[in-house]
Amino acid sequence: MADTIHSPVALVVPRASPSPGILLLKRLWRERAVRTGAVIVGIVLLAALSAPVVSHLLGHGPMEQFEGAALDEMGLPIGPTLEFPLGADGNGRDVLVRTLYGAQVSLLVGVPATTIAMIIGTAIGLVSGFFAGRTDRIISQAIDVALSFPFVVTALSLLALNRGGTGQPIVPPMVVVITIIALFSWAYFARLARGLALELRTSPMVEASRTIGASWARIIWLDILPNILPTVFVYWAVQLPANIVAEATLSFLGVGIQAPMPSWGNMIAEAQRTSLYQEQPWFLAGPGLALFLTVVGFNTLSAGLRNVLDPNRRRA
Amino acid sequence: MSVFSVDHLRVRFGGVQAVRGVSFGVESGRTLAIVGESGSGKSASLLGATGLLPGSASVEGNVLHRGQEILGLPDRDLRRLRGPKIGFVFQDPLSNLHPLKTIGDQIGEAISVHQKRITRRQKHERVLALLDDVGIADPQARFSDYPRHLSGGMRQRVMIAIAIALDPGLIIADEPTTALDVTVQAAILDLLKRLQEEHGTALIFVSHDLAVVSDIADDVVVMRDGLIVEKAPADDIYLRPRQDYTRELLGAARLGGPKSYAVQRDRQATRPLLDVQAVARSFGSRPVLDDVSFTIGEAEILGLVGESGSGKSTIGRLIAGLDRPDAGRISLQGRDYSQPGSSGILPGDLRKSIQVVFQDPYASLNPRRRIEAILADPFVIHGTVDKAELREKVRQLVTDVELPHDVLDRLPSQLSGGQRQRVAIARAIALRPSLIVADEPVSALDITTQAKVIKLLARLRDKLGVSFLFISHDLGVIGELCDRVIVLEKGQIVEVGQTQRVFERPAHAYTRRLLASIPGRKRPPAEAELEDVVYG
Repeated sequence: MADTIHSPVALVVPRASPSPGILLLKRLWRERAVRTGAVIVGIVLLAALSAPVVSHLLGHGPMEQFEGAALDEMGLPIGPTLEFPLGADGNGRDVLVRTLYGAQVSLLVGVPATTIAMIIGTAIGLVSGFFAGRTDRIISQAIDVALSFPFVVTALSLLALNRGGTGQPIVPPMVVVITIIALFSWAYFARLARGLALELRTSPMVEASRTIGASWARIIWLDILPNILPTVFVYWAVQLPANIVAEATLSFLGVGIQAPMPSWGNMIAEAQRTSLYQEQPWFLAGPGLALFLTVVGFNTLSAGLRNVLDPNRRRA
Repeated sequence: MSVFSVDHLRVRFGGVQAVRGVSFGVESGRTLAIVGESGSGKSASLLGATGLLPGSASVEGNVLHRGQEILGLPDRDLRRLRGPKIGFVFQDPLSNLHPLKTIGDQIGEAISVHQKRITRRQKHERVLALLDDVGIADPQARFSDYPRHLSGGMRQRVMIAIAIALDPGLIIADEPTTALDVTVQAAILDLLKRLQEEHGTALIFVSHDLAVVSDIADDVVVMRDGLIVEKAPADDIYLRPRQDYTRELLGAARLGGPKSYAVQRDRQATRPLLDVQAVARSFGSRPVLDDVSFTIGEAEILGLVGESGSGKSTIGRLIAGLDRPDAGRISLQGRDYSQPGSSGILPGDLRKSIQVVFQDPYASLNPRRRIEAILADPFVIHGTVDKAELREKVRQLVTDVELPHDVLDRLPSQLSGGQRQRVAIARAIALRPSLIVADEPVSALDITTQAKVIKLLARLRDKLGVSFLFISHDLGVIGELCDRVIVLEKGQIVEVGQTQRVFERPAHAYTRRLLASIPGRKRPPAEAELEDVVYG
């Protein structure tokens, strides 16, 4: 039977394989949740990007009011027509165009806020987990304190402070909203990064680096960070929809993105406040469904990413 | 008629053909050993045959249990077979026992799952009888213990009790002793053999080591790359192997102890390099090391042997500067560097002098960096900046550990275990240290790879004049490589001496017990010519 043995015991190095990046993309694409999530997120991105084009094609600006064409003789908004595909709102504005611009606002607030939170949180968590001991105790306490603030109450008070003597905001509200959301989500990233770093700091990989004399900065940067990044990125995708909802919440409460600038939050608030959705359901359904779709898309994507990237969840 | 037989079994995982048509069978009261290195398909064929592989794996061929085809049976029917008819013992008893249930409950569950009408009292008595049967002392007291209360060997006994609970006609044991100390391994092998004789069970025993199965096997199947290389009665395999690969495995197997001892050299002439003086260390209230003193000479390979929990890895970490002692001091070339209360950082030149090779090359190499970056690290940290010079140095390192240059562009995951360990060794010798602490550097490797890595370490010592502290639980490896050996028991040194003297005339009872547990004592190495095959 010896003649049926093919490979020799010698030191055979496997053939050069495609780059790990390509392999990873292939593995991701095989996961159904990643495919579904990526498609939905792609649609949302496309919608956000296409907002100016659609606006131009229909000839309706996001804040333009068409009282003659979009409101009937009772002053009620019209339903979907060819000219207004999702109908109009109470001020005679195009719901479709406003929903698409709302996608822009959601992403423009959600993505930077989550990214800032990720960078700050990961940095703090790495330091906390890697140095352990007293540093870790102090930072962990700080994280617990940060997590114990009630989001809406704190956000409302901070935004109230952002009113000058004339009632005009001192800093653009969008910047404040991004800052507040980042302030409220960095702690989750810090906790995650701390746990991962704590586990890795005593691993043979890190001890091997210590025995060749690597500095702590080098160990954090080259050994720990690259190995926790996949998990952190997955968590970014988990946190993003939550932060998009947070923006919508603040805008709904009237302290986030200010009318007439469209945001899903203030559109939903307006539909609800005027009860016009009973006459023109798309007034509410447009931004509502868009928000739902975005959150579902990112959640599906992140669940899929976690299935592939998280070593603890990999199936046999 | 065979109790269990497979015929032309093929197992495929996605695009990988793990098992490519194997046939074997086992009869009542006999033991079939399946031996092969990792990736040979030995476990895959048994898991596949008993329907324990995930649905993504495809299994083809014939599997007969007492003449009845069981491959492709619905899960219901297979479940009725597994337990009452086929018992399983796996490698890692800790991950196979439920941590929150008492061992009595877990053994009882194995019974009541298949015998619904058994009364509580009957079950209790049966469990006590089983615990007694597998050699657990005082079953009444142990009944309500949790797995964490038990040692590794006791846990494996519990697993065996579960496997034999319903007196199955066949037991499949997949590397049941691999995670255990050598003395415990000997006891478990004895237990399996005794149970088999008492109950007339058929036993399939999977192992990577021909030495482990040598005392227990009636027939041996040697597997490689999903195929059977040789299938023969044990006597033929051990005394008259027909295939080169079997001979190679036998050569690496160290039946009954080391084949040859490290060449004796005049060690008196060498000056002491490392001096460990009365070192003690405890974790919390548990003392791990107590009054440990020894020296390592220049260019000497000192073996450190002991069972798990004896404190041998702690000694390695103390010497490597990764931990501090509670008492005593350690000095290199007359310079004290480790004593109670000293800072955690070794001064630069000392840091370069003492390097470490860790046990698991899968864990000690950063999975996200290419080999070239990993090997350039020591030079970069210690000041080399010139790209061309760096590349030249790294290439030289790779040549030193006998790896081809094209590994440099690869990630650790694209290398085999042996290749990874060579990379780890290359990193350790990069800074031309005077001492390398090697903590179980070959335990995670296949047995034929072990032999090659050990040869490499010996050659590096000769070439670079570096000393080694070689920590291992494997007496065979220690015997072949080390000039002197220290035997550690429960944090204390019980014996020190020239390796050959300690192995041939052990002075301490514990050393004698360790040596007597080396598997394969009953089958002395058959032919002297085998050694040529291993080291040729």
